[in-house]
Amino acid sequence: MNDKVTFWYGCNVVRHGDIIHSAITLLEAVGIEVTPAGGAGYCCGTAKDGNLRAAEGMGKRTVEKFNAHGTGQVVSWCPSCYRHMNAFMGEYTDAQFQLSNFAQMLHARRDVLAAKLTHRIERRVMLHKHFGFHEVDVNPLVEDLLRLIPGLELVTTEVSSPGHMCSALSRVPASLKDATRAVCDAAVSTQADTVATVFHSCQRLLCALEGREPFKVVNYVNLLTEAMGLPTQDDYKDWKLAGTEEAVIAKVGEARIAAMGEKLFRDSILPELLKQPAK
Amino acid sequence: MTKKTTTLREHLDDFIADTLARCTRCGKCFEACPMTRYSDGLTNAEPQATVSGVLDWLRQTPGNAESVAWLKVCTQSSRCIDACPEGINAMKMVRVGQMSAMGSLDVPAEQTKLIGRDAKDFFRVINAFAGTQMTAEEIERWQR
Repeated sequence: MNDKVTFWYGCNVVRHGDIIHSAITLLEAVGIEVTPAGGAGYCCGTAKDGNLRAAEGMGKRTVEKFNAHGTGQVVSWCPSCYRHMNAFMGEYTDAQFQLSNFAQMLHARRDVLAAKLTHRIERRVMLHKHFGFHEVDVNPLVEDLLRLIPGLELVTTEVSSPGHMCSALSRVPASLKDATRAVCDAAVSTQADTVATVFHSCQRLLCALEGREPFKVVNYVNLLTEAMGLPTQDDYKDWKLAGTEEAVIAKVGEARIAAMGEKLFRDSILPELLKQPAK
Repeated sequence: MTKKTTTLREHLDDFIADTLARCTRCGKCFEACPMTRYSDGLTNAEPQATVSGVLDWLRQTPGNAESVAWLKVCTQSSRCIDACPEGINAMKMVRVGQMSAMGSLDVPAEQTKLIGRDAKDFFRVINAFAGTQMTAEEIERWQR
């Protein structure tokens, strides 16, 4: 396994800088030299099924940039990016790298990681699972990683939802409601005080449950970095929990709203931050 | 399929030809799908007829109503892949069917049944959030 990797975090995860920074911290903690890459400039094009010319252009551009990194190893955070590279991009490009998933890489070096997890995390944690990421069976890998945290009690359930992450269910709202209700019911019945999400879109769509359910919603990488003594700040959750337009604006702050663009904030970002999970 | 292609369209054409040659229309992929209960249009759908409709989309001709209903509720759960006795990536088959039904292949625009999720402000929102979560230096080094 290379000690140098490109860490491909994806597009939508940029809502969660805490997840990106924690993931990089963890890779570096297990001895990996990381070249981070993501955002619009490294999009896989998976959202462009209605415009294949754009999808192809984005795919070729991203693969060429990865080849230029010269690491020979791309570690993907996002299951959609991983899937799109595997099923499409890699079929018409000259990808000069191996592709793996973040959880796989961290799990392979869990012995190194375990020595860094020196801070007790007194939580009763249930993992929120989906069964659709068939390329990499991430759920047992993440459960193994959570078991490394001193003080953390992992409760296991059979509850697992369709899709590879919650955003996949958004196109069928009733299925997202079912998945949300299932995770709430399971957390309550197992008396979990924390629901750990695996992927960013689950964190995005479930984090606001904290405002009305008896558990916290935390991405697993933030639990791991917290166990390293490095607390994180989930701004996105903070904004989602604000609840009212005035409170969201106050929390995001005038300077950041101005930087985003007032119209874009009003038209697209504010409605997203005000939308609450349904179950 | 071992031939390396140089365009996405060439790859899709190869995948379609291979799928059409190997699919027996047994309907196992449809039966394994956990999402069919979310569509009224699939309440009495015949698995074999529904899969035949998806194959029509792969042939660049409009498929039946059941196939459209199935394409609409796919959330990429992967259960269909394991269910296929021929080893076809049925999830990819459905996705390519969606592309066809969006008009991304050769189906005439007036016969398309799906709309791509190509939100015009997608990247503007992504860039706006990135600006709140990363430093200017990180954006310059990691995202350009």
